[in-house]
Amino acid sequence: MSNKVIELTEAVREIPQDGAEVALGGFAIIRNPIAFANEMIRQKKKNLKLYAVLGSMDTDLLVGANCVSFLAYSGGSLDRFGRLGRINESIERNTIEVEEYSGLSISLRFLAGSLGMPFVPTKTLLGTDMLNNLQNKKSDAIKVIDSPFSDNDKIVALKAINPDFAVIHAQMADEKGNVIIEGPRWDLELALSAKKLFVTVEKIVSNKYIKKYPEKVSIPSISTYKVIEVPYGAFPSSVYNCYDYYSKLLKEYAKANMDAFQFNKFLQKYILNSKDHSDFLLKTCTLDELLNLKVDPHYGYPIGLRGKQNE
Amino acid sequence: MSKYTTNELMAVAASHLLQDKQNVVVGIGLPQIATILAQNTHAPNLSIIYEHGVVNPQPIDMGVGIADPRLWYQADYFTSFVGALGCLLQKGLVDVGFLGGLQVDQYGNLNSTLVKTDNGFKHYTGSGGAGDIATYSKNIFVMMRHEKRKIVDTVDFITSVGYYKGKTSREDIGLPACNSVKIITNLCVLGFSKADKKIQIDSIHPGVSLEEVKENTGASFLIPVKPRVTEEPSKEEIELLENQIDPDHQYI
Repeated sequence: MSNKVIELTEAVREIPQDGAEVALGGFAIIRNPIAFANEMIRQKKKNLKLYAVLGSMDTDLLVGANCVSFLAYSGGSLDRFGRLGRINESIERNTIEVEEYSGLSISLRFLAGSLGMPFVPTKTLLGTDMLNNLQNKKSDAIKVIDSPFSDNDKIVALKAINPDFAVIHAQMADEKGNVIIEGPRWDLELALSAKKLFVTVEKIVSNKYIKKYPEKVSIPSISTYKVIEVPYGAFPSSVYNCYDYYSKLLKEYAKANMDAFQFNKFLQKYILNSKDHSDFLLKTCTLDELLNLKVDPHYGYPIGLRGKQNE
Repeated sequence: MSKYTTNELMAVAASHLLQDKQNVVVGIGLPQIATILAQNTHAPNLSIIYEHGVVNPQPIDMGVGIADPRLWYQADYFTSFVGALGCLLQKGLVDVGFLGGLQVDQYGNLNSTLVKTDNGFKHYTGSGGAGDIATYSKNIFVMMRHEKRKIVDTVDFITSVGYYKGKTSREDIGLPACNSVKIITNLCVLGFSKADKKIQIDSIHPGVSLEEVKENTGASFLIPVKPRVTEEPSKEEIELLENQIDPDHQYI
């Protein structure tokens, strides 16, 4: 049985230092591959070409840390906690190249990539300024064509994306790379489209467990490149059935990311000054706080006093 | 008549626009409250869809957004982004899409991306699934604050297409037809005229004057000869909202 488990630092070293194409699987404040993103920042990746369905804290951190030269996404936020201040400012000041899609249109590009199709036809984006901007920038990812099957019918042709790397965070996988994602799987098409898929997981489970519940496996080992075990690897974003988001740090981040100076202080204090993800956890919360984020297995999120403490 | 807040009136007005057995894409906040209210009153067989892949949750705790598992509690089905916005929405199975935004214009086009400023623009959330929801939902319901800078003749950016440039322009550029666009604000319910698809008053909330609506609207709009008054919430609806649906009064 091939063992695909590697250490986080080793995995991130496989991403080229300059100009790598990476798709990230976070969604607002849940299942963000924070540990992987932070390590990319520590290893000083440059000119990343980032793809995401929805921009999240992971994407915003990388943009703020000047690791990114290109971003394709469908917008994003930190939900009620705030905005993606670093990404927004980069768009306002035109400091990185950004392609803005709708959620479905960029997901369809990943879907086409995952199916080995050259492009996918759709109606979405017609009439929007996302489409206007993509056309004005002469993006090679999008063409408005006449339907080959009916007259006077405009179709948006979206080019497949097969990113060199994708990184998602999931609840569990076995050593072979069979991945179980619990809850909604907005990142599934993105994960399956990648040439090399890295999956960070809360825990590595036995292949016996996988064989007992094969219907729970969303991504087969065949599609997975490497597996990295990083407990609390999405912290301070949440992982369904594992832990809640950590409000205190998200609030602090949502303030810091509105301003380059404050962001850099946040970056230095918590990410650059920590040697690995465990160190990042120690620097950002206490053990009690971390344990308090644990969910009730019936609800999938913390209930009672625990849930309230995190408001 | 019972006592109620403006947000409760908005939730009830939106709930009255929903019908049983409809499939509804919602986000957090008042749309979610309105939809759960409809399920608990006249639309028990209504289905809820979140864009990132959650179908028919029955949450008992409020969360910070659809990315909060509190809102997924007791779901029937988890799927992917394409599973939700492709297999359900793009296929044409969604009756109502709820949207919000920074601005809406005289033809119901929505902007959730950016606002122009003196020296450029400020970028906000962007589309997420909003643009797709407006493309494929048979009806688009918008819930927003009624302010001059928010209801305007022309939006700074079209994130989600309503009736595009009015008349038949939406279908002319290749988009699927849309049966209705409704905007539920804290002052009134706005709809669109039959042929021109131009913004008009459907009903004004009780106690609100036409002048107040005019003062707070940045777009020119049509006024029926005798504007209707928005139906008031019933005692039962208010009790459901306050005791069962949003007991912590986070949104109402």
